[in-house]
Amino acid sequence: MTTGAPALPAPMPDVNVKGRGPMGLLLVAVPVFLVIWMVIWPIISAVVRTVWLEDETGAYGISLRSYAFFFSDRYSLDNLSLTLWTTGVTAALLLVVCLPIALYLRFARGPLPAYVQGLAIFPMFVPSIILSYAFIRVLGPNGMVDLILNAVGLPKIKSPYLTPWGPVIGLVWDNIPLTVLILLAGLGAVSNQSIEAARDVGAGPLRVFWHIILPRIGNSILVAISFAVLGIFSAFTLPYVLGPAAPEMMGPFMQRTFRDLYDPLNAITQAVVAFGFCLVFGLFYVRSVAKNRAP
Amino acid sequence: MRTLSNRIDFPGVGFAVVLTLAIVFPLLVVGTWAFTEVWRFPSIVPQQFGLRFWNQTLARADVWEALWTSIRLATMVTFLSALICLPAAYAFARLDFPGRNILFFSFLAGHAFPKFGLLVAIAAIFLQLNLIGTFWGVVLIQLVGTLLFMIWIPVAAFQAVDRRMEEAARDVGASPFRVFWSITLPQAGPTIAAAVLLSFVGTFYETEGAWLIGAPAVRTMPVLMISFINNQMVVQYGAVLSVLLWVPSFLALLFARRVISSGSFARGFGG
Repeated sequence: MTTGAPALPAPMPDVNVKGRGPMGLLLVAVPVFLVIWMVIWPIISAVVRTVWLEDETGAYGISLRSYAFFFSDRYSLDNLSLTLWTTGVTAALLLVVCLPIALYLRFARGPLPAYVQGLAIFPMFVPSIILSYAFIRVLGPNGMVDLILNAVGLPKIKSPYLTPWGPVIGLVWDNIPLTVLILLAGLGAVSNQSIEAARDVGAGPLRVFWHIILPRIGNSILVAISFAVLGIFSAFTLPYVLGPAAPEMMGPFMQRTFRDLYDPLNAITQAVVAFGFCLVFGLFYVRSVAKNRAP
Repeated sequence: MRTLSNRIDFPGVGFAVVLTLAIVFPLLVVGTWAFTEVWRFPSIVPQQFGLRFWNQTLARADVWEALWTSIRLATMVTFLSALICLPAAYAFARLDFPGRNILFFSFLAGHAFPKFGLLVAIAAIFLQLNLIGTFWGVVLIQLVGTLLFMIWIPVAAFQAVDRRMEEAARDVGASPFRVFWSITLPQAGPTIAAAVLLSFVGTFYETEGAWLIGAPAVRTMPVLMISFINNQMVVQYGAVLSVLLWVPSFLALLFARRVISSGSFARGFGG
């Protein structure tokens, strides 16, 4: 389950009550204060604290030492590349899995699409921790898949549990609902007439997809990818439970550095590195949502 | 589309079979394990069914403590979130004030960064405030996670209310409070209730903030479940907890349909 995901934003309200400025500001003050204190300030503080360091003499000054360590430390770099690999593979797989489902749901009629859509959205209501447990019982050593293969006389699978493929499979499963929903919303903008017109002049399904559908949903694909990347890059629960112990993804790595090694400075440095790698996706995501919601 | 509807919907059958295997099957396996007493390799079905492990799981003090912690936490976060977000949502929907647009979009900020990185940055600040390992530290971090949908969904709900009915009520002399109570709330209520429920369920299952900020002193159900999995406890404990844990989610599933089926859901993601 993707908890805390940005859900159900509304259209930007049209206002016709004027002249009650102080009242409105007062009513929104507490949530806005929370965002500033618990989102904006921690990020600024994280960047400042990782570059404004105490040197040997005890004096504070600008230093990139903590980043130099991260980018020269073999283990940190391994974790970073595992994270980049997992993010890339998961995002690609998500598109491969979700685009056909979304296309099917957009153009199919009848009772079956409702069932398929229900299934595709269902993982949203399965918490990651239950998913992790189900994964181990099904794909783990001597899991259900092994039992079935054994029953029909086939060799056991090489279990993805505790390998880099573990988190990939879990994260794809977890991210299917939102990816399908975003792509489906994008496909809503493709008119039936334009597709009929292309068919009338003899275009096959592939050409219709390539020349008519794809150009119109390009933005939705980018949003779906941005959203998935933001979630996958610093995923914690699934990589922590299903992934290998070393190298580990950035989420478990940060957690261990912070809680087990009591090393906040390096943990924040890792967090800022993660911010850096996701910056483009975050900006793109916010820009798309804001553009859609502009009054 | 075209002649397809007259024939068998082959792609549909394919998607239905594959998705059933990939999504429903694993959960059925977990459900089966919860009611299994003996299931040894290589039997394809359990050798013995029974409720023994329900008794054992429910006899554990740490399970009850974690359940109680989770319920207290989710109730407190949902209450505080409703207290501060619903008036704010009303203001965004109905009042004009300086900086309204930028403040409305500021709630997106928390979702423009990789979540766990942001949690670590917050945890560094909590470290200085001695909030690590405390109940209120976890409450605060989860409260921030509920802000976006506890404001954006109710804003849509308040906007959907028929303004003419409110004005008519005011014309016949109803006080602003009376108008809000008798006209606005009944219309906006169901959607707001769905947002509140989502907030409760989301907090109940929130794992990462609870683990980073709360553990080991504050142990919620998902955190307890992680330690059950990591410590390779009796297989059935995890299965029983999964089934128990899924109940709130099932309620959310039933109620959230109305919010999700209203098309604005995915469009809000910029899709």
